[in-house]
Amino acid sequence: MRGTLAGLRAWLLQRLTAVYMIGFIVFLLAHFATDAPQSYELWRAWMMRPEVSIATFVFFTALLMHAWVGIRDVVLDYLQPMIVRVPVLAIAGFSLLAMETWIARMLLVS
Amino acid sequence: MRFSIYRFNPEQDSAPYMQHYDIALQPEDRMLLDALVRIKAADDSLTFRRSCREGVCGSDAMNINGRNGLACVTRIVELKEPVELRPLPSFPVIRDLVVDMTQFFKQYHSIRPYLINDEAAPQKERLQSPEDREKLDGLYECILCACCTSQCPSSWWNPDRFVGPAGLLQAYRFIIDSRDRATQERLEDLNDPYRLFRCRSIMNCTEVCPRGLSPSRAIEKIRLMMVKHSL
Repeated sequence: MRGTLAGLRAWLLQRLTAVYMIGFIVFLLAHFATDAPQSYELWRAWMMRPEVSIATFVFFTALLMHAWVGIRDVVLDYLQPMIVRVPVLAIAGFSLLAMETWIARMLLVS
Repeated sequence: MRFSIYRFNPEQDSAPYMQHYDIALQPEDRMLLDALVRIKAADDSLTFRRSCREGVCGSDAMNINGRNGLACVTRIVELKEPVELRPLPSFPVIRDLVVDMTQFFKQYHSIRPYLINDEAAPQKERLQSPEDREKLDGLYECILCACCTSQCPSSWWNPDRFVGPAGLLQAYRFIIDSRDRATQERLEDLNDPYRLFRCRSIMNCTEVCPRGLSPSRAIEKIRLMMVKHSL
Protein backbone atom coordinates (compact mmCIF):
# COMPACT_ATOMS: atom_id res chain seq x y z
CA MET A 1 0.00 0.00 0.00
CA ARG A 2 1.19 3.49 -0.77
CA GLY A 3 2.27 5.53 2.23
CA THR A 4 1.27 8.97 3.51
CA LEU A 5 -2.04 9.96 4.98
CA ALA A 6 -3.63 9.56 1.59
CA GLY A 7 -6.39 7.06 0.98
CA LEU A 8 -6.88 4.15 3.31
CA ARG A 9 -5.01 5.65 6.26
CA ALA A 10 -7.07 8.84 6.28
CA TRP A 11 -10.30 6.87 5.94
CA LEU A 12 -9.30 4.47 8.71
CA LEU A 13 -8.13 7.30 10.96
CA GLN A 14 -11.48 9.06 10.61
CA ARG A 15 -13.36 5.92 11.62
CA LEU A 16 -11.08 4.95 14.52
CA THR A 17 -11.16 8.46 15.97
CA ALA A 18 -14.97 8.45 15.66
CA VAL A 19 -15.17 5.19 17.59
CA TYR A 20 -12.94 6.56 20.36
CA MET A 21 -14.94 9.79 20.59
CA ILE A 22 -18.24 7.92 20.86
CA GLY A 23 -16.77 5.69 23.57
CA PHE A 24 -15.41 8.67 25.51
CA ILE A 25 -18.71 10.59 25.29
CA VAL A 26 -20.62 7.54 26.55
CA PHE A 27 -18.11 7.17 29.41
CA LEU A 28 -18.45 10.86 30.28
CA LEU A 29 -22.27 10.76 30.23
CA ALA A 30 -22.28 7.58 32.31
CA HIS A 31 -19.95 9.17 34.85
CA PHE A 32 -22.01 12.34 35.19
CA ALA A 33 -25.24 10.35 35.36
CA THR A 34 -24.05 8.01 38.11
CA ASP A 35 -21.43 9.97 40.06
CA ALA A 36 -21.80 13.64 39.20
CA PRO A 37 -19.33 15.94 41.05
CA GLN A 38 -21.18 18.20 43.45
CA SER A 39 -18.95 21.26 43.09
CA TYR A 40 -16.54 22.89 40.66
CA GLU A 41 -13.57 21.90 42.86
CA LEU A 42 -14.62 18.25 42.87
CA TRP A 43 -15.17 18.33 39.10
CA ARG A 44 -11.75 19.92 38.58
CA ALA A 45 -10.07 17.37 40.85
CA TRP A 46 -11.71 14.56 38.88
CA MET A 47 -10.65 16.08 35.57
CA MET A 48 -7.06 16.44 36.78
CA ARG A 49 -6.73 12.77 37.67
CA PRO A 50 -4.02 11.51 35.25
CA GLU A 51 -6.18 8.80 33.66
CA VAL A 52 -9.05 11.27 33.06
CA SER A 53 -6.89 14.11 31.76
CA ILE A 54 -4.99 11.75 29.43
CA ALA A 55 -8.26 10.22 28.18
CA THR A 56 -9.63 13.75 27.63
CA PHE A 57 -6.46 14.79 25.83
CA VAL A 58 -6.75 11.72 23.57
CA PHE A 59 -10.40 12.68 22.94
CA PHE A 60 -9.51 16.17 21.76
CA THR A 61 -6.59 14.84 19.73
CA ALA A 62 -8.98 12.39 18.06
CA LEU A 63 -11.44 15.23 17.46
CA LEU A 64 -8.78 17.39 15.78
CA MET A 65 -7.49 14.49 13.66
CA HIS A 66 -11.07 13.68 12.66
CA ALA A 67 -11.61 17.32 11.78
CA TRP A 68 -8.40 17.41 9.72
CA VAL A 69 -9.51 14.47 7.55
CA GLY A 70 -12.95 16.04 7.15
CA ILE A 71 -11.59 19.48 6.21
CA ARG A 72 -9.11 17.88 3.81
CA ASP A 73 -11.97 15.95 2.16
CA VAL A 74 -14.02 19.11 1.68
CA VAL A 75 -10.99 20.94 0.26
CA LEU A 76 -10.16 18.09 -2.14
CA ASP A 77 -13.76 18.07 -3.35
CA TYR A 78 -14.51 21.74 -3.71
CA LEU A 79 -11.25 23.66 -3.97
CA GLN A 80 -9.61 22.55 -7.19
CA PRO A 81 -7.05 25.32 -7.92
CA MET A 82 -3.82 24.63 -6.04
CA ILE A 83 -3.34 28.34 -5.43
CA VAL A 84 -6.43 28.27 -3.19
CA ARG A 85 -6.13 24.73 -1.90
CA VAL A 86 -2.62 24.92 -0.44
CA PRO A 87 -3.17 28.07 1.69
CA VAL A 88 -6.53 26.80 2.96
CA LEU A 89 -5.00 23.46 3.97
CA ALA A 90 -2.04 25.24 5.56
CA ILE A 91 -4.30 27.58 7.59
CA ALA A 92 -6.49 24.65 8.67
CA GLY A 93 -3.45 22.56 9.59
CA PHE A 94 -1.78 25.30 11.64
CA SER A 95 -5.06 26.16 13.38
CA LEU A 96 -5.62 22.55 14.40
CA LEU A 97 -2.02 22.25 15.57
CA ALA A 98 -2.39 25.43 17.65
CA MET A 99 -5.53 24.00 19.23
CA GLU A 100 -3.73 20.76 19.99
CA THR A 101 -0.91 22.66 21.72
CA TRP A 102 -3.42 24.69 23.72
CA ILE A 103 -5.29 21.55 24.82
CA ALA A 104 -2.02 19.83 25.78
CA ARG A 105 -1.04 22.82 27.92
CA MET A 106 -4.42 22.83 29.65
CA LEU A 107 -4.72 19.13 30.30
CA LEU A 108 -1.17 17.86 30.63
CA VAL A 109 1.05 20.73 31.72
CA SER A 110 -1.01 22.57 34.33
CA MET B 1 -49.27 13.21 -22.15
CA ARG B 2 -47.09 16.26 -21.59
CA PHE B 3 -43.30 16.12 -21.82
CA SER B 4 -40.65 18.74 -21.26
CA ILE B 5 -37.43 17.71 -22.97
CA TYR B 6 -33.94 19.21 -22.88
CA ARG B 7 -32.91 20.30 -26.34
CA PHE B 8 -29.52 21.41 -27.52
CA ASN B 9 -27.98 21.21 -30.93
CA PRO B 10 -24.50 22.80 -30.75
CA GLU B 11 -24.54 23.43 -34.49
CA GLN B 12 -27.67 25.60 -34.25
CA ASP B 13 -28.38 26.63 -30.66
CA SER B 14 -26.42 29.11 -28.61
CA ALA B 15 -27.85 27.69 -25.37
CA PRO B 16 -29.89 24.68 -24.28
CA TYR B 17 -33.65 25.03 -23.77
CA MET B 18 -36.62 22.89 -22.68
CA GLN B 19 -39.13 21.98 -25.36
CA HIS B 20 -42.69 20.95 -24.55
CA TYR B 21 -44.47 18.13 -26.33
CA ASP B 22 -48.06 16.99 -25.98
CA ILE B 23 -48.33 13.49 -27.30
CA ALA B 24 -51.37 11.21 -27.52
CA LEU B 25 -50.15 7.86 -26.30
CA GLN B 26 -51.54 4.56 -27.54
CA PRO B 27 -52.54 1.61 -25.34
CA GLU B 28 -49.42 -0.29 -26.39
CA ASP B 29 -47.13 2.53 -25.16
CA ARG B 30 -46.12 1.24 -21.76
CA MET B 31 -42.56 2.39 -21.25
CA LEU B 32 -41.03 5.86 -21.49
CA LEU B 33 -39.01 4.76 -24.51
CA ASP B 34 -42.28 4.01 -26.36
CA ALA B 35 -43.34 7.60 -25.72
CA LEU B 36 -39.96 8.93 -26.88
CA VAL B 37 -40.20 6.94 -30.09
CA ARG B 38 -43.66 8.42 -30.63
CA ILE B 39 -42.34 11.96 -29.99
CA LYS B 40 -39.52 11.32 -32.45
CA ALA B 41 -42.06 10.26 -35.06
CA ALA B 42 -43.61 13.72 -34.67
CA ASP B 43 -40.31 15.62 -34.41
CA ASP B 44 -37.41 13.76 -35.97
CA SER B 45 -34.90 16.36 -34.81
CA LEU B 46 -35.11 14.98 -31.24
CA THR B 47 -32.02 12.89 -30.57
CA PHE B 48 -31.54 10.10 -28.04
CA ARG B 49 -29.75 6.76 -27.85
CA ARG B 50 -31.58 3.46 -27.69
CA SER B 51 -30.95 -0.10 -28.72
CA CYS B 52 -32.22 -3.23 -26.96
CA ARG B 53 -35.33 -1.59 -25.42
CA GLU B 54 -35.30 -4.07 -22.55
CA GLY B 55 -32.83 -2.76 -19.96
CA VAL B 56 -29.81 -4.74 -21.13
CA CYS B 57 -27.76 -2.41 -23.33
CA GLY B 58 -27.88 0.69 -21.14
CA SER B 59 -28.07 3.06 -24.12
CA ASP B 60 -31.13 5.06 -23.12
CA ALA B 61 -29.95 6.24 -19.70
CA MET B 62 -31.27 9.73 -18.98
CA ASN B 63 -32.50 11.95 -16.19
CA ILE B 64 -36.21 11.37 -15.77
CA ASN B 65 -38.04 13.81 -13.50
CA GLY B 66 -34.78 14.48 -11.67
CA ARG B 67 -33.71 10.89 -11.26
CA ASN B 68 -31.44 8.87 -13.54
CA GLY B 69 -32.93 5.78 -15.14
CA LEU B 70 -33.39 3.82 -18.34
CA ALA B 71 -36.25 5.02 -20.53
CA CYS B 72 -36.96 1.47 -21.73
CA VAL B 73 -37.72 0.08 -18.26
CA THR B 74 -39.46 3.16 -16.83
CA ARG B 75 -43.22 2.69 -16.80
CA ILE B 76 -45.16 5.65 -18.17
CA VAL B 77 -47.99 5.32 -15.65
CA GLU B 78 -45.57 5.91 -12.78
CA LEU B 79 -44.38 9.27 -14.13
CA LYS B 80 -45.62 12.64 -12.94
CA GLU B 81 -46.57 15.15 -15.66
CA PRO B 82 -45.03 17.06 -17.26
CA VAL B 83 -42.34 14.43 -17.62
CA GLU B 84 -39.06 16.29 -17.54
CA LEU B 85 -36.29 14.58 -19.50
CA ARG B 86 -32.71 15.76 -19.37
CA PRO B 87 -29.36 14.23 -20.38
CA LEU B 88 -27.31 12.46 -17.72
CA PRO B 89 -26.17 15.16 -15.24
CA SER B 90 -22.55 16.32 -15.39
CA PHE B 91 -21.75 14.54 -18.65
CA PRO B 92 -20.91 16.77 -21.64
CA VAL B 93 -23.91 16.99 -23.98
CA ILE B 94 -23.36 16.04 -27.60
CA ARG B 95 -26.92 16.76 -28.65
CA ASP B 96 -30.30 16.70 -26.85
CA LEU B 97 -30.31 13.60 -24.64
CA VAL B 98 -27.08 12.15 -26.04
CA VAL B 99 -24.03 12.61 -23.83
CA ASP B 100 -20.31 12.11 -24.26
CA MET B 101 -19.27 9.07 -22.21
CA THR B 102 -15.54 9.21 -23.01
CA GLN B 103 -14.54 10.11 -19.44
CA PHE B 104 -16.82 7.44 -18.01
CA PHE B 105 -15.25 4.69 -20.12
CA LYS B 106 -11.77 6.05 -19.47
CA GLN B 107 -12.35 5.52 -15.75
CA TYR B 108 -13.84 2.09 -16.43
CA HIS B 109 -10.76 1.03 -18.44
CA SER B 110 -8.46 2.38 -15.73
CA ILE B 111 -9.48 -0.41 -13.34
CA ARG B 112 -8.35 -3.01 -15.92
CA PRO B 113 -11.72 -4.71 -16.38
CA TYR B 114 -10.42 -8.13 -17.33
CA LEU B 115 -8.95 -11.15 -15.56
CA ILE B 116 -5.23 -10.89 -14.87
CA ASN B 117 -3.68 -14.31 -14.46
CA ASP B 118 -0.18 -15.17 -15.68
CA GLU B 119 -0.37 -18.81 -14.65
CA ALA B 120 -0.24 -21.33 -17.47
CA ALA B 121 -3.68 -21.64 -19.04
CA PRO B 122 -5.37 -24.98 -18.36
CA GLN B 123 -6.44 -27.22 -21.24
CA LYS B 124 -10.09 -26.18 -21.09
CA GLU B 125 -10.92 -23.33 -18.71
CA ARG B 126 -10.12 -21.82 -15.33
CA LEU B 127 -12.57 -23.51 -13.04
CA GLN B 128 -14.36 -21.83 -10.17
CA SER B 129 -16.24 -23.36 -7.26
CA PRO B 130 -19.97 -22.56 -7.08
CA GLU B 131 -19.25 -20.55 -3.91
CA ASP B 132 -16.60 -18.45 -5.64
CA ARG B 133 -18.87 -17.94 -8.62
CA GLU B 134 -21.64 -16.78 -6.29
CA LYS B 135 -19.42 -13.91 -5.11
CA LEU B 136 -19.76 -12.33 -8.55
CA ASP B 137 -23.54 -12.07 -8.28
CA GLY B 138 -24.66 -8.48 -7.94
CA LEU B 139 -21.49 -7.35 -9.73
CA TYR B 140 -21.28 -8.87 -13.19
CA GLU B 141 -24.81 -7.70 -14.09
CA CYS B 142 -23.69 -4.06 -14.49
CA ILE B 143 -24.55 -2.80 -18.00
CA LEU B 144 -22.43 0.38 -17.79
CA CYS B 145 -25.38 2.67 -18.42
CA ALA B 146 -23.69 5.34 -16.19
CA CYS B 147 -26.87 6.14 -14.24
CA CYS B 148 -24.91 5.72 -11.00
CA THR B 149 -21.78 7.67 -11.90
CA SER B 150 -23.76 10.52 -13.39
CA GLN B 151 -25.83 10.84 -10.19
CA CYS B 152 -22.80 10.73 -7.87
CA PRO B 153 -21.72 14.12 -6.40
CA SER B 154 -18.17 12.84 -5.86
CA SER B 155 -17.98 12.10 -9.59
CA TRP B 156 -19.32 15.58 -10.33
CA TRP B 157 -16.46 17.21 -8.40
CA ASN B 158 -13.63 14.96 -9.57
CA PRO B 159 -14.69 13.11 -12.75
CA ASP B 160 -11.11 12.86 -13.98
CA ARG B 161 -9.67 11.41 -10.78
CA PHE B 162 -12.45 9.56 -8.94
CA VAL B 163 -13.15 6.23 -10.65
CA GLY B 164 -16.86 6.52 -9.90
CA PRO B 165 -19.38 3.94 -8.70
CA ALA B 166 -19.67 1.98 -11.96
CA GLY B 167 -15.90 1.61 -12.31
CA LEU B 168 -15.51 0.67 -8.65
CA LEU B 169 -18.26 -1.93 -8.84
CA GLN B 170 -16.37 -3.46 -11.77
CA ALA B 171 -13.09 -3.16 -9.85
CA TYR B 172 -14.56 -5.22 -7.02
CA ARG B 173 -15.94 -7.71 -9.53
CA PHE B 174 -12.33 -8.52 -10.54
CA ILE B 175 -10.80 -8.13 -7.08
CA ILE B 176 -13.14 -10.79 -5.69
CA ASP B 177 -12.85 -13.13 -8.69
CA SER B 178 -11.03 -16.31 -7.55
CA ARG B 179 -9.42 -16.65 -10.99
CA ASP B 180 -7.76 -13.23 -10.86
CA ARG B 181 -4.19 -13.01 -9.52
CA ALA B 182 -3.76 -9.23 -9.32
CA THR B 183 -5.74 -8.54 -6.15
CA GLN B 184 -2.89 -6.75 -4.37
CA GLU B 185 -2.03 -4.64 -7.43
CA ARG B 186 -5.67 -3.69 -7.92
CA LEU B 187 -6.01 -2.65 -4.27
CA GLU B 188 -2.80 -0.62 -4.42
CA ASP B 189 -3.97 1.11 -7.57
CA LEU B 190 -7.10 2.32 -5.77
CA ASN B 191 -5.35 3.43 -2.59
CA ASP B 192 -4.88 7.15 -3.12
CA PRO B 193 -6.98 10.15 -2.05
CA TYR B 194 -9.01 10.21 -5.25
CA ARG B 195 -9.59 6.94 -7.10
CA LEU B 196 -11.62 5.22 -4.38
CA PHE B 197 -11.63 7.43 -1.32
CA ARG B 198 -13.52 10.36 -2.83
CA CYS B 199 -16.61 8.21 -2.20
CA ARG B 200 -18.52 9.76 0.71
CA SER B 201 -21.11 6.95 0.87
CA ILE B 202 -23.87 9.26 -0.37
CA MET B 203 -25.39 6.14 -1.97
CA ASN B 204 -27.13 7.87 -4.88
CA CYS B 205 -25.54 5.15 -7.01
CA THR B 206 -27.34 2.34 -5.22
CA GLU B 207 -30.55 4.37 -5.16
CA VAL B 208 -30.72 4.88 -8.93
CA CYS B 209 -29.16 1.71 -10.36
CA PRO B 210 -31.77 0.39 -12.82
CA ARG B 211 -30.41 -3.13 -12.33
CA GLY B 212 -30.81 -3.00 -8.55
CA LEU B 213 -27.06 -3.33 -7.93
CA SER B 214 -25.21 -1.73 -5.04
CA PRO B 215 -21.97 0.03 -6.00
CA SER B 216 -21.76 1.54 -2.51
CA ARG B 217 -21.65 -1.94 -0.96
CA ALA B 218 -18.91 -2.96 -3.41
CA ILE B 219 -16.94 0.17 -2.47
CA GLU B 220 -17.30 -0.67 1.22
CA LYS B 221 -16.05 -4.19 0.57
CA ILE B 222 -13.00 -2.88 -1.30
CA ARG B 223 -12.19 -0.67 1.68
CA LEU B 224 -12.49 -3.58 4.09
CA MET B 225 -10.28 -5.73 1.85
CA MET B 226 -7.70 -2.94 1.86
CA VAL B 227 -7.77 -2.89 5.66
CA LYS B 228 -7.32 -6.68 5.78
CA HIS B 229 -4.49 -6.64 3.26
CA SER B 230 -2.68 -3.80 5.03
CA LEU B 231 -2.65 -5.61 8.39
